[in-house]
Amino acid sequence: MDSDQIAREEKLSEQLKRLIVSIGAGGQTVLLGSSDELLNSIVVAAARIFGAGAASILLVNEDEQVLEFKVAYGPAGKKLVGTKYPLDKGIAGYVVMTGQPIATSQVSKDARWDKEFAQSTGYVPESILATPLLSGDRIIGVMEVLDKINAASFGIQDMELLGMFARQAALAIDQAQQLSKIEGALVLGLKRLATADPSKDSSEILSVLETARNDQGEISDLLEIARLLGDISALGEAERRACLQILEVFASLKRSAPRRFG
Amino acid sequence: MSAEEEELRPAWSQSFTPEAIQQLNAVGPFSDITPAWAWGRSKGKGIRVAVVDSGVEHDHPAVGKSVKGGVIVEYDSRAKDSYRIRPDDEPMDVSGHGTACAGIIHALAPEAEIYSVRVLGRNMAGRAIQFAAGLDWAIEHDMHVVNLSLSTSLEEFFGIFHDLADQAYFKNMNLVSAVNNIPEPSFPSLYSSVISVAAHDGHDPFTYYYNPKPPVEFGAPGIDVEVAWNQKQYLVCTGNSFAAPHIAGITTLIRSKHPDLTPFQVKTVLMACAANMRHRAN
Repeated sequence: MDSDQIAREEKLSEQLKRLIVSIGAGGQTVLLGSSDELLNSIVVAAARIFGAGAASILLVNEDEQVLEFKVAYGPAGKKLVGTKYPLDKGIAGYVVMTGQPIATSQVSKDARWDKEFAQSTGYVPESILATPLLSGDRIIGVMEVLDKINAASFGIQDMELLGMFARQAALAIDQAQQLSKIEGALVLGLKRLATADPSKDSSEILSVLETARNDQGEISDLLEIARLLGDISALGEAERRACLQILEVFASLKRSAPRRFG
Repeated sequence: MSAEEEELRPAWSQSFTPEAIQQLNAVGPFSDITPAWAWGRSKGKGIRVAVVDSGVEHDHPAVGKSVKGGVIVEYDSRAKDSYRIRPDDEPMDVSGHGTACAGIIHALAPEAEIYSVRVLGRNMAGRAIQFAAGLDWAIEHDMHVVNLSLSTSLEEFFGIFHDLADQAYFKNMNLVSAVNNIPEPSFPSLYSSVISVAAHDGHDPFTYYYNPKPPVEFGAPGIDVEVAWNQKQYLVCTGNSFAAPHIAGITTLIRSKHPDLTPFQVKTVLMACAANMRHRAN
């Protein structure tokens, strides 16, 4: 093995270790349940605590310049999830642009307010409280609670409290997004490691990696592989080669067996 | 209230709930400072007010003909210092927030000149840089009062905004800043030279309170306030953002009537005229 390759492998090993440490620090808690589940529980809790008829979390999609409903609780509930909304429209768009939370009331009475979108969902709220989801200085989404039960509008204290909820939600979203990036980088790293020696057939390992990448439910297995790879990469060259051979034997066995991963 | 609830209870606005407002006594010569002396008959003439925000809709009826110009500060990662400034002679508002603030200021100080400094937009990056650059523009262009219904929590901007706040102070400029609606440190609202404002639930635009336990010093109307919005709209809104321009408007009136006052004297006058300040019987 030439010195360039050794340097490359050391670098890769270093990167893998870093990734694994990051996953340990940030990803584990989110991995216990899916992030959608966590966000769902946050909006349901928010709706109950604020005495609101509905609650939702929208995420910014910068490429499409839209806000997308990630989770929603209330009359329009599930119907809203996945719906996209122009970034510069409505209360949520306002929150994204200004980074300021806002509460408004009499939404439906105000003919000048664009309520086309709300009507298209079959749910026009009377009062809205919306606050930004921040990752550092970056606005990654909006959390809303709608229709205060037993009151005409949300108060300033509701606003401050929702800010605290939003912080938790933003943390969960941020972790999930980071994790997705880490996962991508990890698979890429593993692919490079698997194809480092062109004389060896690694198509099956690549196929396993693809499957794991595509199947969201199998992230934890993938992390386990990564963790092992991290340990392995810290070993000597001979040990690494031995591990690679074991993986290849496993892959060749799999080749003759019916495909079933996870 | 349990310890847990106490912990959850928000920090900034609670100083201005009816049960929390403290009655204060004006002492010595401060007792002679009254709203009638401070801003009676003033309409804000001769005062330039910058609204650093999402822009101001120059032809919205709520701002009359007060908008005299403005600039747009854009984030540009390739530009020197990562931003660009271009003139905005007939300013527009990309959200409604800036027009809401300008409308409140104009209602209180109809003869003041308003300048739109647009630092907010659709871009998701570089907000704090744009914000700082917008404030810098206002300082360089000799505004008297600057309304800042926005803030940043980024610690790396602590020093930059502190420096800007000092520059403004030594140029006799009053910065009026809404505190963050989320009770955590944010800049520049928490600097001592800045006039920081949170919301109370009253509706008289001239009724505001002084909080003897800073960092948030003033409480002004900001709950269910009818405000101007972009595209000639009006909305009923809640937020500390709408409290700050009330104090900015009153500050404008004071500066217009008493042009020789310095920023700290203006703050003293504001404190003396707060609704929770008891004056000795004359």
